[in-house]
Amino acid sequence: MNYILSILIFLPLIAALVIILLPSGFRERFKYIALGTSIVQFFISVYIYLNFNSSAAFAGINRESQFQLVEKMSWIRLDLGSIGKLEIDYLLGIDGLSMPFLILSALVMFVATLASWEIKTNLKAFFALLLLLNTAIMGVFCSLDFFLFYIFYELMLLPLYFLIGMWGGVRREYAAIKFFLYTLFGSVFMLLIIIGLYFSVLNPATGNHTFNMILMMDPANYLGSSIFSTVASQNLLGISARLLAFIVLFVAFAIKVPIVPLHTWLPDAHVEAPTPVSIILAGLLLKVGGYGILRICYSIFPDAAIQSAWWIGLIGVVSILYGALNALAQTDLKRLIAYSSVSHMGFVLLGIASGTTEGVSGAVLQMISHGGLSAMLFFLVGMLYNRVHDREIANFRGLALVMPQYTAFVMIAFFASLGLPGFSAFMAEAFSLIGAFTSQEVNGLLPRWMAIGGSVGILLSAAYFLWTLQRMFFGQTRLKGGDVWLTRLRDVNIREKFALVPLAIVAIALGIFPSLIFSKMNASVLAFIQLVSG
Amino acid sequence: MEVLSFSANALCLLSIIAVAFPFLSFLTIMLGRKSPGSAISIFNTSISFISSILVFISVWNGEPVQQQVEWFSIGSNVFSAGILLNNLSVLMMVLVSGISVLVHIYSISYMKGDINIHKYWAYLGLFCFSMMGLVVSDSLLLIYMFWELVGFSSYLLIGFWFTKDAASQAAKKAFIMNRIGDIGFLTGLMIIYSQFGTFDIVKLFGSGGMIDSASIVDGIWISASTEMPVIWLTIAGIAFFMGAMAKSAQFPLHTWLPDAMEGPTSVSALIHAATMVAAGVFLLGRIYPLFDSVALNIITIIGVLTAFIAATIALTQNDIKRILAYSTISQLGFIIAAMGIGAYGESIFHLATHAFFKCLLFLAAGAVIHQLHHHKEQHNMEFDHQDIRMMGGLRKQMPVTFIAMCIAAAALAGLPFTSGFLSKDAILITSFEWAEGYHGFKKLVPYILTLTSWLTVFYIARLIFKVFFGKSRYTDLHEAPTSMTRILMILSFGSLFILFSFNPLSYDGSWILKGFAGAGVKGFDRLHLFIPAIVTVISLAIIFIAYKVYGGRAVQTFPEKGLLYRFSNRAWYFDSLYDFLFVRSTTALSRLSYKFDKLVVDGLVNLLATLTNIISEVADWFDRNIVDGLVNGLATLARKTGDFARQFQSGKLQHYLLTMLTLVVTFFILTYFI
Repeated sequence: MNYILSILIFLPLIAALVIILLPSGFRERFKYIALGTSIVQFFISVYIYLNFNSSAAFAGINRESQFQLVEKMSWIRLDLGSIGKLEIDYLLGIDGLSMPFLILSALVMFVATLASWEIKTNLKAFFALLLLLNTAIMGVFCSLDFFLFYIFYELMLLPLYFLIGMWGGVRREYAAIKFFLYTLFGSVFMLLIIIGLYFSVLNPATGNHTFNMILMMDPANYLGSSIFSTVASQNLLGISARLLAFIVLFVAFAIKVPIVPLHTWLPDAHVEAPTPVSIILAGLLLKVGGYGILRICYSIFPDAAIQSAWWIGLIGVVSILYGALNALAQTDLKRLIAYSSVSHMGFVLLGIASGTTEGVSGAVLQMISHGGLSAMLFFLVGMLYNRVHDREIANFRGLALVMPQYTAFVMIAFFASLGLPGFSAFMAEAFSLIGAFTSQEVNGLLPRWMAIGGSVGILLSAAYFLWTLQRMFFGQTRLKGGDVWLTRLRDVNIREKFALVPLAIVAIALGIFPSLIFSKMNASVLAFIQLVSG
Repeated sequence: MEVLSFSANALCLLSIIAVAFPFLSFLTIMLGRKSPGSAISIFNTSISFISSILVFISVWNGEPVQQQVEWFSIGSNVFSAGILLNNLSVLMMVLVSGISVLVHIYSISYMKGDINIHKYWAYLGLFCFSMMGLVVSDSLLLIYMFWELVGFSSYLLIGFWFTKDAASQAAKKAFIMNRIGDIGFLTGLMIIYSQFGTFDIVKLFGSGGMIDSASIVDGIWISASTEMPVIWLTIAGIAFFMGAMAKSAQFPLHTWLPDAMEGPTSVSALIHAATMVAAGVFLLGRIYPLFDSVALNIITIIGVLTAFIAATIALTQNDIKRILAYSTISQLGFIIAAMGIGAYGESIFHLATHAFFKCLLFLAAGAVIHQLHHHKEQHNMEFDHQDIRMMGGLRKQMPVTFIAMCIAAAALAGLPFTSGFLSKDAILITSFEWAEGYHGFKKLVPYILTLTSWLTVFYIARLIFKVFFGKSRYTDLHEAPTSMTRILMILSFGSLFILFSFNPLSYDGSWILKGFAGAGVKGFDRLHLFIPAIVTVISLAIIFIAYKVYGGRAVQTFPEKGLLYRFSNRAWYFDSLYDFLFVRSTTALSRLSYKFDKLVVDGLVNLLATLTNIISEVADWFDRNIVDGLVNGLATLARKTGDFARQFQSGKLQHYLLTMLTLVVTFFILTYFI
């Protein structure tokens, strides 16, 4: 038994404690502690990646024995008399679906920490919260016990609330509370389902009720008469209990993804949050939603997932198009990128809904790809905002003459995001769409027009990114702030390059060699499809 | 040809060199220290060209070579990447790399003194890399990737002078219009993958490949593994053609090409005349077996329409590059139409000859523009140096350019002894032969094409006479630098018949056509003699008329106003139409959807929040006044009772006595009176 995942998860927590205990005189060192932590985490995750066994015997998904780096400890055992014994495990483990997210988390955290150089006030609290958030996110991706998962899941909210509310922009309080309530709304109902599941599922080994997710995926473990039993097909509020549970869980995660029409917390939160927090929100938090849909909604309620596929696909297409149209209308660069996230995450839903290997692989790749690219985009916006405290598109013109290197990075990020082949987003979006199209023949879940509709989103994304490029970067230089801005708009510095270059490299590497991700998760995706389609 | 023969491995290595070397120039220039980059670029493209020639010599008319490696796999499906060398790809390799070497050398003088010159070389390298990659790829997915990279590098090159608004807008327009086509391409990919589960071109389109062995029964298109309604076969054909329409600037996706002339002229010559626009035709050639009769009919109609529309527009343009741009669109229409009528070889043949003479036209025009521009700067003059109305009489001042331009124009017009004569006749004659078998609109196809070729003669003659004849208005204008004129001479040679066929008057002996034998219908001798003769005689007459009109510059016979003139001059108002139909409506829709998002979707959320607030206020009031009121009421009641009772405990004797008396009297009354 090894503790590598625990180290990965709790290292930032320890670092946070260190920061809290250090006197304020070390204020300027805090960021290096945080940076060092994320670098160590990155190397750990790369180590995990390199040693990851991608054979079919280690596919994971619904077989506990096939998970890797499993850590299992009894955590809470409480005799509840007639109800039985409360059984909560500290159960960690990874498979092909979760492993890529570990590297992504470490990378995005690294970039977010580099972006934190701009934070000037209350550094101790800021970095302690940032590291706490880091722990929570890593924990979510590694947990296999639903109770543990829920703790990490809710733990993410707390630091984010304060990070947005204390270090954010003008309307930070509104944004913070909106974000908090919105996501809490989803997860409160999730708790009900968790309890329902708990009472429905028995651990065959001990005879106790359990929170073990993997056991929840096996219909045989359900009590015949229980609420979520596949056999009893109980009804709640007029619809099948399992379908209702699926919908509740889906909504909880979909708010995070986000889907149209539950997305309006996102533009506000992204725009008001300080740069590092925007990076984490877009780069990781949205992925928690997508990951949750795969790992929990689909895996525990595959029957209901198949039933709802058409609607999920529709939501995906609507998100793609609606998000892109809204992005086109934005005048604030950060808001534009926030809406483009809605659009790009729509591909994830479309791919997942297709229930095909191509679609699901594309969806996971899209999450990884978008994680890196949105981090890059928000970092770039942050650079501009940091220099002149403005990000209205109309206030800039001809930036290419002033900041040529910055423009080069923006072009890389924009073209990568709009799905230029050679970058990760292309592979991801292409295969999400191909999966959606193939679905009609393979399992009949999605009609073909959805894929074609989704591909229009690729056109729109080209429109809003290129229009922005043309308006802000090309032409003769004309800035709202005149010469004052001209002196402040210095080109990319070393620290910023350290953040941007790795992200660009990852985007290109995954675009040319998608097998870097695909080969690690093929077995898991196949097992996942097997589980979902029966 | 047996002298030079390489093993399959060596050929693949050579073609990888041919593809990769231009990319090396991109990398070294972009990542390296600032250097002009011209030497590296020219060296790399030359290597690319030489390798291409070697590959060409050993593959042409030989066995096709395919080699591939596993690229990635999804689930259990393996995707491979590889190289496919057959007649089509090796011909394109030589064409692309050859033209690109010439344009590179030409650019040394043409782009001299530009501050971002190193980027220019880098972008050119990226473009050549994408184009070469496109032609050697053996998988539709790979082709799609290079296809978009071609679009991307052309975006960079069109917008090379990014401080000019027109240039950056043209670049954006080109990329987005191409993206529209890409959606079609992507749809085609999805259909192909869904039906056959692979992107391998040989497996799909090879003889006895999956397309061949798929059958159509009762409106269902059945492949080895799966089936779908046959309409999707047609849709696939049209979808791929949509991609080709955008890249090859076919109506209605042609409007980006004239705007793309905002880029440097050398770029226009390379990309928008010889190579990038050929990519669409190349794609059609690669997936030809996919097209069913409906798709082929659509291809023919679009091609013919494009040829005609663009030619009518070219008649009245005054910007020298725009005339050539519309001429390119028109010629590509010819080529696409030829594909549509099944004249596969003729189409590729015209593509090859067109690459040379159109490149020459552009480079010669570039020489004129270059010289005028310098003249303008030297003398501090202000005029549009691309406007043919500002030129005239240049034949004495720029004799080499003049001769080169004449040869290229003759080739475009399809006069005898030029390459264009051979290939254009090939298409015209085949179209007449093809039309013999049909009725209805198809009968019109050859006539519209012939009419278009006469229009072509007129507008190119107009250009020559306006630019080079008459009296020059500039006194000390000189011939372009020798490094430029040398390139013009080489290309002039390439525009003559000799490179393509030993017989100047018959295309039958052309080696390119022989290389693509097997497609199309067999010829009739009657047509072979009759059509070229008629076409040529009328062409000469048109040239004479054009000379009479424009040669002397004195009289203005054709009115430069009127409905038809404006319609042609404003390019059939396509830009205004598209601006109204698509650009404005999309931006309006986007603003509308943002309003909806803010007011309705977010409004609901905020309304919910407000409602919650109101409910909480009500609850607060209820809590304060009712719930707490009850509690307080009880307390008040108790206190009031207490207060009342307390009154009896005043501690004063007379009160107690009074109370006692009252009680006694009360009891007395109660007992005795009631």
